[in-house]
Amino acid sequence: MIRFLVPIVCLVLFFVEPIFGLFSPLSIGGSFYYVVPRFLILFLIFLTVFYELRHALFYGLFFGLLYDVFYIDIIGLYSFLYPAVCLIAAYFFKKIPQNLLSATLLALGLLIAMEVALYLFFQLIGLTDAPAGTFLTSRLWPTLIANALYLGLLGWVFRSMMVTQDPQRGTKFGLY
Amino acid sequence: MPQFLSNKRLILLLIGVILLVALISLTLRDRGQVSLPEQIVKEAVGAGQSVFSRPAHFVTGVFDNIDSLINTFEENRLLKARLEEFAGVQAEVTDLRSENDELKELVGKEEDLREYNPIQAVVIARNPDQWEEKIILNRGTNHGVKENMAVMTAGGLIGKVTIVTPTTSTVELVTTQNPNYRVSAMVLGEDDVFGLIEGYDPERRELLLKRIDFSVDLKEGDQVVSSGLGGIFPKGIVIGEITEVTIDEFGLTKLAYVKPAADFSMLNHVVIADRLAPEVDGEDNGMTEEEEEES
Repeated sequence: MIRFLVPIVCLVLFFVEPIFGLFSPLSIGGSFYYVVPRFLILFLIFLTVFYELRHALFYGLFFGLLYDVFYIDIIGLYSFLYPAVCLIAAYFFKKIPQNLLSATLLALGLLIAMEVALYLFFQLIGLTDAPAGTFLTSRLWPTLIANALYLGLLGWVFRSMMVTQDPQRGTKFGLY
Repeated sequence: MPQFLSNKRLILLLIGVILLVALISLTLRDRGQVSLPEQIVKEAVGAGQSVFSRPAHFVTGVFDNIDSLINTFEENRLLKARLEEFAGVQAEVTDLRSENDELKELVGKEEDLREYNPIQAVVIARNPDQWEEKIILNRGTNHGVKENMAVMTAGGLIGKVTIVTPTTSTVELVTTQNPNYRVSAMVLGEDDVFGLIEGYDPERRELLLKRIDFSVDLKEGDQVVSSGLGGIFPKGIVIGEITEVTIDEFGLTKLAYVKPAADFSMLNHVVIADRLAPEVDGEDNGMTEEEEEES
């Protein structure tokens, strides 16, 4: 069943992201906060660590390409970053305790790395000239908090969705 | 680590990186053009996106309605006060309009930069990684949308169309950091003052109106509208109002900060302005394409 479930979830997350993007920038107390929904890549990281890397790489490449063509108009940015993040996730997850909490923290850590990489890239091609301080306060922290909330709410759903698919895996990861 | 970077993988990685850099630089160079496969992807994703955006707009609409219900009493009182003025203004407008028509007939002027064909569109998505301020609309070349057309809400100008496919169009908002993004504008007053909207200050969240004649006196609170002289935008779309006037970095012309009149968060219904007067090639910066290539 996961064969159908994963692409459907990916598709839904892909389409839901820009709708949440419509709410941003949030204005709280006169200052503005950019909240970037990163639902899909967080799901792919979970797919990598709890299910299988190959699937995650494939979906990362596919949806990254869609993202590039539809929104960014620079082909090769997200279609590189999504699989790369999944690869790094797979590499690091072997070295840390394997439970839901560690997976969440790893996913959020990689999210920070991705945001910073994107910031450096867009600064390189001159699409932004925001100083690093502004980037941190108005973009990175709000994004991180919002996505942590999302993972906190749905992380266990993703995990149980993937873990229960494979009986051998179910015993490998304990409740915690 | 040695397993992670064996010889075969290293070569694959290198080839991958080279391909990646080539792809990125290739697509960076001509971002305005859309190749056929890109167009097909855009169409397909756009169709899927509008399916998802409809219920989302419905939900936010409900919340908006509740929100406005709460303020109904206060608003109603304010509106009643305004209604009395309105009758007078209405009569004046009709009078001025007929006078304007008569005068136009008198001088034999038929084309007007002000007139445009409104194309109604719905925002189906906003670029989720908000490095570039872009929105995507559900109208395209099939509905008469062309590149560089002005896009506005009831509040005022929000951006211009950068990419069109048959059924979708991408709009770059005026709040972009793109240095090549210009809009010909003018400040309304006793004498109209002309300048260019060029750039955006992300910290003040205000637009920069540049290239204003040094000798001109501008006041805070003056209204800025599009001038129509750029060749593509119609005349008279509200852009915002001046909040501060300073001297630009070279000390030769004046620079004014303009607070945008439109609200850029939660965009929903927008209007694309298809100008009736003949359009000039270019990007509404007062240059034709040939001139731009020369400069």
